[in-house]
Amino acid sequence: MFNLALWVYVGLTLAIFGSLATVWGPGVKDPVIRTINTEVASVGVSLILLTYNSTLALLTLISTTIIVTLILFRAISRLEEIGADV
Amino acid sequence: MVASIVPQLVPAFYSLMYTTVLYGGLIVAFIGLIGIAMEKRDIQVLILTDIVGLAMLIIVAAVGTDLSEALILPGLVVELAEIMAISEILISHEMRKKDVHTSFTPIPLNIDMEIMTTAPNFIALLLIGYGVFLSGFTGGAVAGGGIVIYVLSRKVRGLPVVVLDGVGAISGISWCLWIIGFLFFFILPQYWLLSLFLAALGLLLKVASKIGLIGIMMREEYGRK
Repeated sequence: MFNLALWVYVGLTLAIFGSLATVWGPGVKDPVIRTINTEVASVGVSLILLTYNSTLALLTLISTTIIVTLILFRAISRLEEIGADV
Repeated sequence: MVASIVPQLVPAFYSLMYTTVLYGGLIVAFIGLIGIAMEKRDIQVLILTDIVGLAMLIIVAAVGTDLSEALILPGLVVELAEIMAISEILISHEMRKKDVHTSFTPIPLNIDMEIMTTAPNFIALLLIGYGVFLSGFTGGAVAGGGIVIYVLSRKVRGLPVVVLDGVGAISGISWCLWIIGFLFFFILPQYWLLSLFLAALGLLLKVASKIGLIGIMMREEYGRK
């Protein structure tokens, strides 16, 4: 069978590295790169939810991640259109 | 001490991994909060709140039972609504400061696909039927998706205000159904099947009508010439 603990550890590692990449990663002064880096952490959280058998939570996380990314991209591009400091 | 608090029905694996996952979540939250403390610009802080929300999910998921799943779902929805509202506030704040106006969407929304004129009836019927079969929150989302497809395909143009008000009223009444079903669970537990269906169908109507309303408002916003 699968080693369940391994999946949790991989998920936690991805979540921690993803959040490190979002905060101090290369090129995060650009908000678009910072938004894409959050996806790495969200994949880690998905693995943890998968191990804990939370199917509904996993599906909702996937859909809300997509919607949040779209909202953030829309906010970034509109702020750049205005000429604000992003 | 901890072992005596954990009920017997929690699988051994979950209670074994609890400390590890909890500390992992706390580390992620710490990194995210340091990032927020260091950042000055508002939009960057908004992106970093996402990381703190993910840390919240890890900590709640560490409980590992149905309770955690029941807490994650509203947490996700609240986080989504929060980011939506704060990004809107940020944009209008900057618009007022610079005194310029921007378009509602950055990209031109063009849905002139063939499928939008030939198939929306069938797809909408399929989605609404499957949503009613599913019932509950998920079914409401699926049925609402069907309504949005039907509305966005411009089959019905220029709905009168009465219809919009009617859809809002359906949403409110079904919310009352949900609350009554929830109360019956505690007051009259022997009617659990009735209260289950009241709650499931109330939530179905509520979510479906709300998503349908969003679709109608989007269409009215874009369709304005």
